[in-house]
Amino acid sequence: MRHVGAIAGRELRSMFVSPVAYAILTLFAIVAGFFFLASVLGFDAQVAEAQQFRAFDYLRQLNLNDHVIAPFYGIMWIVLLFLVPGITMGLFASEKTNGTQELLMTSPITIWELVIGKFLAASLFVLLLVGMVGIFTGILFFFGDPELPKAASGLLGLTLVALSYVAVGSFASSVTRNQLIAFFLSLVLLLILWMLSIVADLGAGGGAIASDGLVSRSMRWLSSADRFEQMVRGLVDTKDLAYFGFMIGTFLILTKASIESVRWR
Amino acid sequence: MIEARGLTKRYGDLVAVNDVSFEVGSGEVVGFLGPNGAGKTTTMRILTGFVPATDGTAKIAGHDIFEDPLAARRAIGYLPETPPLYPEMDVAHYLTYVARLKDVPRGRRKGAVDRAMERCGLADVRRRVIGSLSKGYRQRVGLAQAIVHDPAVLILDEPTVGLDPIQIREIRGLIAGLADSQEGGTGHTVILSTHILAEVEAICRRVMLINAGRKVLDGPLAELTRDGQRLEDVFTRVTLSDQAEASAGGTAEAAEAAQ
Ligand SMILES: Nc1ncnc2c1ncn2[C@@H]1O[C@H](COP(=O)(O)OP(=O)(O)O)[C@@H](O)[C@H]1O
Ligand SMILES: [Mg+2]
Repeated sequence: MRHVGAIAGRELRSMFVSPVAYAILTLFAIVAGFFFLASVLGFDAQVAEAQQFRAFDYLRQLNLNDHVIAPFYGIMWIVLLFLVPGITMGLFASEKTNGTQELLMTSPITIWELVIGKFLAASLFVLLLVGMVGIFTGILFFFGDPELPKAASGLLGLTLVALSYVAVGSFASSVTRNQLIAFFLSLVLLLILWMLSIVADLGAGGGAIASDGLVSRSMRWLSSADRFEQMVRGLVDTKDLAYFGFMIGTFLILTKASIESVRWR
Repeated sequence: MIEARGLTKRYGDLVAVNDVSFEVGSGEVVGFLGPNGAGKTTTMRILTGFVPATDGTAKIAGHDIFEDPLAARRAIGYLPETPPLYPEMDVAHYLTYVARLKDVPRGRRKGAVDRAMERCGLADVRRRVIGSLSKGYRQRVGLAQAIVHDPAVLILDEPTVGLDPIQIREIRGLIAGLADSQEGGTGHTVILSTHILAEVEAICRRVMLINAGRKVLDGPLAELTRDGQRLEDVFTRVTLSDQAEASAGGTAEAAEAAQ
């Protein structure tokens, strides 16, 4: 694993010489700032309204965790779903168009070192984005007193979701030499993963599949949506952690297999 | 240094490389000749581990490319047909990165990079971004990445293709220099593919001719051109007669007959 650092380092360096990385960071900061502000102002309006109508029961229910942080995380999750494919699309595809694949595959490195190095680089970049979400959330602690454990477990959920998206995006980038195809392939995969629980709900609601049947349950199991929501509610379950580990592991194994299969074609 | 046994590569029905065997001794410089599509690139890709052979195997500096691929690759410097460059990196950073990939120990990395740049005439452009270099300079960077870890074996796939005549002369000069013994030791063992005969005559002492995936000729350049024959004539005659034999259902005997 001693080549992992070299590969991840080169990848990060290349990301940061291109204006795209800075554009993504800036854009994300603006988008995150906007939705953060929107969540805070929305909360403010709700509080004002509740006071105006003397709805004290409702007022007591309003809190920063559930009415600012949770919706904010939820929106950032969707933003990441669309952004991560853009970050990962070039990971392997660009090596193929550059011809540098031939350097990598004839160097005394293992495919695992390559896959892990690439995954690490993209993960570090994505962690910068999640870090920004963390900073915005941190601002709330100066003005109110949200529950820290809940905010932290939600952020952990967002981190894990994002890392599993990086793994999916790595795989998409490994199966093609075209970055645009890689982008759309990972977007489609992520949307499918995201919609599985909705489809399970709809199918169960319409009676198409039994809500506790094997199909419905496995669709739910594969979907990250419910797990993420659990974590935003402050519930960290080892089963959910294992799920994200499983998703990351599976897609990294698929990435490795796809790189190997190109070799044996 | 190189021992290839029965190398064969099939792409579906197409046999790109067909039962090719050869040995290359330490310090030899071999010109790997053949018309386009003959199987030169495929053979080199098998040796470097980029594509696996369908059949046969090879040893590089004593390491089997299938049983001990990492050790075999450590012994090889490879310049593919298109130099594997990152356009956004500068020359020195790029070569340092390659040195890390090729297991040059940290303490020796800077020296190795400086030496490769010096040998390939890159000292003046060390901080230039590769994408901004001319084609000739990019080829030099490609050559520098092949030698940065001082490999026993150099495999160069059409190193002068697409260059202008002056650049061609420069690159040939560089390769000839790499092949010559340096600092008292033996020089690199070099296999260089080309379809330009003059290139072989300029640099190589041994010629290996491949046609339609099969090795049809292998010997010292001096011997092939001994009785005043021009290499071009030998090349044309062997290639054509081999094709005639092949279409007549003949086998590798054609090569013997032609010799
Ligand atoms: N990846 C591949 N898939 C299918 N056919 C290939 C592939 N690579 C090479 N070939 C075929 O194998 C033959 C030999 O090609 P190559 O080794 O590139 O020849 P050369 O380098 O001597 O010009 C050609 O007919 C080529 O079309
Ligand atoms: Mg070729």
